[in-house]
Amino acid sequence: MNKMTKTSSTDMNIMVEQSVEMTSRRDFFRKAAVYSASAVVASNVLSPVELLAADDENIIHHQKWGTTLGDELNKNPYGVPSPYEHNNVRRTTSLLSSAGDMHAAVSLTPLHEQQGIITPNGLFFTRTHNGVAHIDPNKYRLMIHGLVEKPIVLTLDDIKKYPSESVIHFLECPSNGAAEWKGPQFNSVQFVKGMMSCTEWTGVRLKTVLADLGVDPKAKWMLAEGQDGSEMSRTVPTEKAMDDAMLVYAMNGEALRAEQGYPVRLLLPGWEANLCVKWLKRLEFGTEPWYCKEETSKYTTLTASGKAIQHFYPLEVNSIITSPCPEKNWEFLEDGDMVEIQGLAWSGQGKIKAVDLSFDGGKNWVEASLKGLVLPKAWTRFSYMHKFKEGETLLLSSRAMDEAGYVQPTVNQEKKIIGVEGVYHRNSICTWEIMKNGEVNNVQMRS
Amino acid sequence: MFKCVHKSIALTVATLVLSSVSIFASEAKKDAIDGGMTYTRDKGMYSNYHINSQVDALKLNYGRTPTANELKAWDTDIMPDGTGLPEGEGSVEEGDELYEENCAVCHGDFGAGGVGYPTLTGGDISSLKNQRTAPGMDAPKRTIGTYWPQASTLIWYIRDAMPYAHPKSLTDNEIYAITAFLLANNEIEVDGKVQEDADVLNKKNFMTIKMPNRDGFYPDVNGENGVENVRKFFADPKNFGANTVRCMKDCKDDNATVMRIGIEMKDVVPGYSTERDLPAKKKGGATHPGKEAYEKNCAVCHKTDAMGAPDVGNKKAWAKVMKKGMDNVVNNAIKGTGAMPPKGGNPDLTDAQIKEIVDYMSSNSK
Repeated sequence: MNKMTKTSSTDMNIMVEQSVEMTSRRDFFRKAAVYSASAVVASNVLSPVELLAADDENIIHHQKWGTTLGDELNKNPYGVPSPYEHNNVRRTTSLLSSAGDMHAAVSLTPLHEQQGIITPNGLFFTRTHNGVAHIDPNKYRLMIHGLVEKPIVLTLDDIKKYPSESVIHFLECPSNGAAEWKGPQFNSVQFVKGMMSCTEWTGVRLKTVLADLGVDPKAKWMLAEGQDGSEMSRTVPTEKAMDDAMLVYAMNGEALRAEQGYPVRLLLPGWEANLCVKWLKRLEFGTEPWYCKEETSKYTTLTASGKAIQHFYPLEVNSIITSPCPEKNWEFLEDGDMVEIQGLAWSGQGKIKAVDLSFDGGKNWVEASLKGLVLPKAWTRFSYMHKFKEGETLLLSSRAMDEAGYVQPTVNQEKKIIGVEGVYHRNSICTWEIMKNGEVNNVQMRS
Repeated sequence: MFKCVHKSIALTVATLVLSSVSIFASEAKKDAIDGGMTYTRDKGMYSNYHINSQVDALKLNYGRTPTANELKAWDTDIMPDGTGLPEGEGSVEEGDELYEENCAVCHGDFGAGGVGYPTLTGGDISSLKNQRTAPGMDAPKRTIGTYWPQASTLIWYIRDAMPYAHPKSLTDNEIYAITAFLLANNEIEVDGKVQEDADVLNKKNFMTIKMPNRDGFYPDVNGENGVENVRKFFADPKNFGANTVRCMKDCKDDNATVMRIGIEMKDVVPGYSTERDLPAKKKGGATHPGKEAYEKNCAVCHKTDAMGAPDVGNKKAWAKVMKKGMDNVVNNAIKGTGAMPPKGGNPDLTDAQIKEIVDYMSSNSK
């Protein structure tokens, strides 16, 4: 028996290799049935039963993984994804970098492969201004000073001594979708909206740390500065520091990834990821804003008036359909199939209240269901069952509304207020054009 | 049995009513500075999260007081009112030389850009009204002279974050000099006039600078009302492009039509694929000893041809370089050549390392 099984697995491997050459599954099964008349019939699971053309090779024969000893269980002490998942990765483009230099650039999360509302740590989008810094946690220090009665220095152990809280929040670069102010450019959900991710953060409320410091009521502003080569810094209203701001040191149950600011990052839920300073070095309290480089020359939204919006903190209500999308289209569907339309909605200003779908480019809308957890300033999934009709073209859009009452604007509505040179904070409605054959393309509804 | 079911339904209804009051989430109020919601921490709840209410009443005396020297070492920001400006001085002429040596490789001659990194000079404030609504139109020019509201930002950023590959390597005199050079090339006045070669920028005359686009930003964040101005700005959704109408039927949208992708951006790394297969096997062999040092020190300029430096993998460009002979190429790399600073700007590299790097770069360009 043992010997026979081995033979069968070898035969199967040969056949799998040959199958690559064959043009269709049906064709493969037919040929396989004929080809295997002698060798495989003898070794198939049901032997000596004669095989039918409709029999699935993957069921009829033993598979290699069922007839061999698997890997040792701790071969990878830190687990890695299945090798078959090697295309589920962050991607970069020279367009969103300086001359193809990947030290000041951005990588985007593969939203087409994203399940649920938690992004795995290895797929979390990354933006750096001077490369990924690697801080020795034993040498890490955080200084809090300025207009406070008692300035302090904290080690990482000190920070972990405070009571911890865990919260689920998305983080989004305000440049998400920036390449498309003037029209669609990328045929990919990853590049249209992938400058964001969502994770369970663990750390201490900044308010808990500040309780003991005696922050002067005159100190309306807080400077947050990083330790990386760019000393990325931003000015934050003290009011936010006292509301839901956190010093986070963990994401999804483990230490922050170096790309996300290991060992400590400032988290300002719902606000520009750029404000959530990584590799946090110090917080200083003062009466006037600091005019950091990343809140003047960059991260300001230039409008058609020639004046720019500064201190544009919250990421406004937004949504994207992730299934279907250009990467995962409907070409596999058959006429009449029921298919789930799903996607992600988020708002930096509260919880998601509702998501509507349009099939005609925004003229008429129906309400989709929200599913799973609905949390403040977190990704929220929406779902709608649709009957696929072959030969039908659709202009499929999603539009989210949040708890604060804000509704995603159309491209034209947003253009009217911001123009097309704003770079940051693009949250207008996205549209996929579903072609007759199920192909999906990125388009925009605009005049 | 029937009765029992009936009861449980009644119980479920009661639970649902309660849940919408406060059992499952704390109160939400639309009173955040950003126009959004805040959530109370009440009865053990923060929004949908359970919390330990003991924490909110505590004052935890952790950490230690920083020393005066520690504060001095880290509190190095430079603010618009001159707070933090260091002692020192530098002339436009000195700045010119330093700029050529440290900055031109990325920002182009005289800050004119063109090599992929930010353009620092040129353009006009009036260009900020440019809107590229059709192909071929001019972009707004966001340079130091046309866009940056404060000169303090410039000198602070140069001190902390530049030169790009070796931040914090310049002296205070050098940062004054480079700042003076950039201000002069943007025709920004110091002491009431555009600075000439011999003119010197220092802590005192720095405060006479008024950046041309000083008033180009809103809301006004300065002074006592700064934070309140931000709150007012976000109180009106029209200010930041938010919509508050949820139209469901026959919605009008200014004659919107379908705009499709013109020229698709396909330059993505790694290339698009959703296949679930085994990855192609990588070629074996040991890593070249020069690879890591190349990536850390040289790839910034030599990875693509955008910087004008021979890019690794470009057979033609490297064939031309190697015609000079290995020794000469290594020697040029050590001493600097053209726009390339000595040792690529990193004096810590040994001559032997430079040789390894050149070997790595040339052997990967054959």
